[in-house]
Amino acid sequence: MSAILEVSDLRKAYAGVHALDGVSFAVEAGSITGLIGPNGSGKSTAIDCISGFQKLDGGKVVLAGQDITGRVAHHIARTGLMRTFQTVRIYERLSLRDNLAIANQQFDAANWLDELLRTRRYRDAVEAAEKRARQLVELIGLQRYWEIETGILSYGQKKLVALAAALMPHPKVVVLDEPVAGVNPSRIREIEAALGELNRAGETFLIVEHNVEFITNLCHRVIVLDQGRKLAEGTAAAIHTDPRVLEAYLGMTPEMAEAEMRGAA
Amino acid sequence: MKLLAAPLASMVAALLLAALPLVTSSNYVIGIGLSALIFTVAAAALNLIYGYTGLLSFAQLGFWGIGGYATALTVVTFGGNFWWGLLWAALVNAVLAIVVGYPTLRTNRHAFVIVTLTFALLVTLIARDWVSLTRGPLGIPNLPAPEAFGHRFAGTAQFYWVAWAFSVAMLGFLYALCSSRIGRTLVAIKQNEPLVRAQGIAPVPYKLAAFAISAAITGAAGGVYCFHLGIIDPLFLDFYYMQTFLIIVIIGGAGSFWGVVVAGVVMSALPELLRFSEDLRMVIYGAILVVAMFVMPSGAAGWLRERQLLRMREHVR
Repeated sequence: MSAILEVSDLRKAYAGVHALDGVSFAVEAGSITGLIGPNGSGKSTAIDCISGFQKLDGGKVVLAGQDITGRVAHHIARTGLMRTFQTVRIYERLSLRDNLAIANQQFDAANWLDELLRTRRYRDAVEAAEKRARQLVELIGLQRYWEIETGILSYGQKKLVALAAALMPHPKVVVLDEPVAGVNPSRIREIEAALGELNRAGETFLIVEHNVEFITNLCHRVIVLDQGRKLAEGTAAAIHTDPRVLEAYLGMTPEMAEAEMRGAA
Repeated sequence: MKLLAAPLASMVAALLLAALPLVTSSNYVIGIGLSALIFTVAAAALNLIYGYTGLLSFAQLGFWGIGGYATALTVVTFGGNFWWGLLWAALVNAVLAIVVGYPTLRTNRHAFVIVTLTFALLVTLIARDWVSLTRGPLGIPNLPAPEAFGHRFAGTAQFYWVAWAFSVAMLGFLYALCSSRIGRTLVAIKQNEPLVRAQGIAPVPYKLAAFAISAAITGAAGGVYCFHLGIIDPLFLDFYYMQTFLIIVIIGGAGSFWGVVVAGVVMSALPELLRFSEDLRMVIYGAILVVAMFVMPSGAAGWLRERQLLRMREHVR
């Protein structure tokens, strides 16, 4: 396997406080990588910096061999990194269909003149996007909301819409910021299953999440951040028994953690 | 069938409007129709930048005035004809919009409102005080009727056709734009700009294009309108015009193309229909506006849309 996304020595400070203090990690192509850590550990800052929503003070980000350090967000997206947001972001006053279509429009061959004149190229692009959108809508199980404004959906359903939108243009990496926070447990299992299926089909994910069970079930590799530094990295199982992680993140001893896991299962 | 309903209805409406000078010989009525057409175009242009893109631009008043002056000066001072004047008006305004918009659109929506308001005030000052160009408060009277294919469009009834053709062309263009992916992208930018960026779309070129197109069309509309009045002076930059465009957009429903077009015709005619009571005319007009805003806070189109959403919710449950 090779790394599709490589970040090295990420640095970011807010008013002297180091949110990121030399973080390096890699996301393998075709993997699901988890990024966890207590509140304020720098997870969100890390993905904001990687996706161009915040400026890095130092470090390097390489996506599929291209240096994307310091590029603006829309440029990074075009390079093949799609992301979702912690507080769900969708176009609430547009239909599900339009939400997905917009997510893809920067990635097809139709330019503004094609759009204005409704050329063949434009119609083909629209048709292809529609086909992809229908597949994804089926995957997230929201077929009956196809023509309906997404504002009326529940919070969990909106998260699924955001996920589907991020997947629309076949990105190289999908970065999910807390995909199941605030989502009810049965829906979490659906999201888990959907992500697993997509991953088997070849999608690469980087997931920031607090839900340990979710991360454990899905991720091939987990990176733990604490106070802007990488605390540990390894398989989910290895992370679970790492005493440093347990203390920093879960605030408990290995025995307590084991009891917790049994309880959760 | 439903797909064809809207274009068919609009074609019928456009042809009916075209027939107005054949139905009546009253210059007063034809004048109202002409104003309604031009105001609707200016309001639809405002709708593009405000309703679709979410940027409240008071600069429309400035563009309207600059368009009027540019067209008048092209004909009277620089020896060009009316059509070149309109083109020139559109071009000057598009360039100005880009010059004003480029730095401003990098800030935020509030800064945009303030800067565009200042721009409009500045244009008013220039119209009044740059006497060697604009002839100051005296204005430029006796604007000649335009000619095309050897025909002179003299008099209100004749000039009405010019305004009609202009309006149909501009509204057609705006409809093509607003109903395309470009229009949808503008709406997306208004609703959630970070998401737009995360999807690889650069928002600034879209906003800038919307502002420039809106400016160009407003300017050309101003050019047509001042030739209807036959004179241009600083009163052409009266806030009354800005207020009219804004009322049309808000009552029609910001972001709805047809809502604004229908409101454009209705709201332009309404003050005239109320002439049965000269004293209370504007009071009644104001009262109607207040009631309309209470009943339909997001305009007529917004009101219809909420109804539709309610039905959808019930359908889904």
